[in-house]
Amino acid sequence: MTWLLWRQHRSQAAVAGAALVLFAVAVLITGVHMAHVYDDAVRNCPSNGACELVGQLFRGYGAIVDTVHLTIAVPLLFGAFVGATLVAREVEQSTNSLVWTQTVTRRRWLLSKVAVAVGAALVWGIAVSALVTWWSGTPNSLYGNRFEGAQFDTQNVVPVACALFGVCLGIAAGCVFRRTLPALAATIAGYAAVRVAVAVYLRPHYLAPITRTVAPGADAGIPPGSWTLNSALVDPPGHVITGRLGIPDPCVSAPTRAGLQDCLTRIGYRMKVTYQPPSHYWTFQWIEAGLFVALAACLLTFAVIRTLRHDA
Amino acid sequence: MTDLAVETRNLGKRYRASWALQDCSIDVPSGRVCGLVGSNGAGKTTLIRLLAGLSRPTTGHATVGGRPPADDPAFLREIGYLAQDVPLYRRWNAADHLALGAHMNEVWDQSVTVDRLRSLGIPLDRPIEALSGGMRAQVGLALALGKRPRVLLLDEPVAALDPLARRQFLASLAAAVGEGDLTVLLSSHLLADLERVCDHLVLLAGGRPVICSDIDALLASHKLLTAAARDTTAIEHHHHVVTSVRTPRQVTLTVKLDGPMLDPAWVVHDLGLEEIVLAYLEGGSVPTPDHALEVVR
Repeated sequence: MTWLLWRQHRSQAAVAGAALVLFAVAVLITGVHMAHVYDDAVRNCPSNGACELVGQLFRGYGAIVDTVHLTIAVPLLFGAFVGATLVAREVEQSTNSLVWTQTVTRRRWLLSKVAVAVGAALVWGIAVSALVTWWSGTPNSLYGNRFEGAQFDTQNVVPVACALFGVCLGIAAGCVFRRTLPALAATIAGYAAVRVAVAVYLRPHYLAPITRTVAPGADAGIPPGSWTLNSALVDPPGHVITGRLGIPDPCVSAPTRAGLQDCLTRIGYRMKVTYQPPSHYWTFQWIEAGLFVALAACLLTFAVIRTLRHDA
Repeated sequence: MTDLAVETRNLGKRYRASWALQDCSIDVPSGRVCGLVGSNGAGKTTLIRLLAGLSRPTTGHATVGGRPPADDPAFLREIGYLAQDVPLYRRWNAADHLALGAHMNEVWDQSVTVDRLRSLGIPLDRPIEALSGGMRAQVGLALALGKRPRVLLLDEPVAALDPLARRQFLASLAAAVGEGDLTVLLSSHLLADLERVCDHLVLLAGGRPVICSDIDALLASHKLLTAAARDTTAIEHHHHVVTSVRTPRQVTLTVKLDGPMLDPAWVVHDLGLEEIVLAYLEGGSVPTPDHALEVVR
């Protein structure tokens, strides 16, 4: 089996290996450089007064920033090109019947192939995530928030779990559709749908958020690096105001914005802010990683059982 | 009783609503080259895939080389299989395929297999997609034979080949059979392909076996009878009438004899294999197993 796996997947391994090396070189060079620039800026800002760093410091670094953020698609590439083709291509070209009538059992063949694909996804997932997490140290300290979008999805354990999920989704799609193209399409669509659904509908609710109620315009005292889920004006009876605020009668004549805020505070309006504090970050990472690992395990079990039971 | 290489009992396979194979009970003795004939859709591929363990029967059971088809090395080492259209890895060359055979089998005849392909002038270092259909079929056959199976299952291996390649393939097959203890089950919808190499025949029609017999016995027992128009009750009583054609002046019967033909009124003619097969296909009536199956044990 080892020979077959090597012979079949060596070119994929070479391409993926080369891509990883290129990425590592780019990340290491820019990462070291950016850390330098950031440290210098922080050290010098008290003397030159240029402490408003956000948005200024890495203005010319769009290419590497985009590349790093695009690693959000690494699990998808694994799912589509390693997972979806793993069984589907063999079935499509009938080479499964060639392999399944050698003396190696179908079970051993399948488990070996799956082990290699899942193992590769794990190794590449860990390598990419480690590089991105290290590189992101600088932008993270600059921007603060590690919860949203590309930050949460590309750093630490979540991208590794997603690599497993992607490759297992691909394998399962290949076992169901038994043809490469539909399996590929289903993997891409399914992966995107699940990731978006989890990020939008589940992630905000892993832990109960903290709610602060303050006077309109006042500082809510939210710790830096928090993920603000919602911030809304509440009227005196306690209803959240959605849409445009019709300025209440007593405040119509308020001359300035600050005056209006004072007036609203006086007649009982409040600002309600809901957020996840930075201390929730690792719990969120592990919950989401666990979710994707569990999904991956279900998909893989399904794919293996189906392939072993199904006629060739 | 002879050692049986392939034995099936009431084997059946249903795909959704329709049966691809039904009530299939056949015996193929060891050492035979058995042709499996039938029109397209008669169930040939289904039967071979069941025997190769690639699909699971809906009803009945089978043994191949003494073992039921299973995902088990003990069974897999007994069979060689070549699917329709000879699936191979297109980008690989023949040498890669032989390496696959060597790595994925406990028993592997590397030198014999290499010699076999070399003697046919097949380049081992050219990708499969650059080889002709005939060469691909030979690579597929070499791969199936290299693991030294006891039962070789070939599904329409020559269907897509030109006449010369077809002849070469069958010659290679005959040579392999001559070398050792090998039973072959070879399907084709062209009887002429099989007549040259087979000594046993299974005919499938509509998903059921109609004939399973030694070919010599088949030829010896099936005769064409002609006579002036007359009553055929006595013949039908003693023998199995496969087809009958009546004109006002003459009766022509294709008959499987169940004993000596004594009535001198009938003129007895020999039949060719193709005529016998066509008679069964035209006759339409599926004969009872007593008559049609197991002509000679």
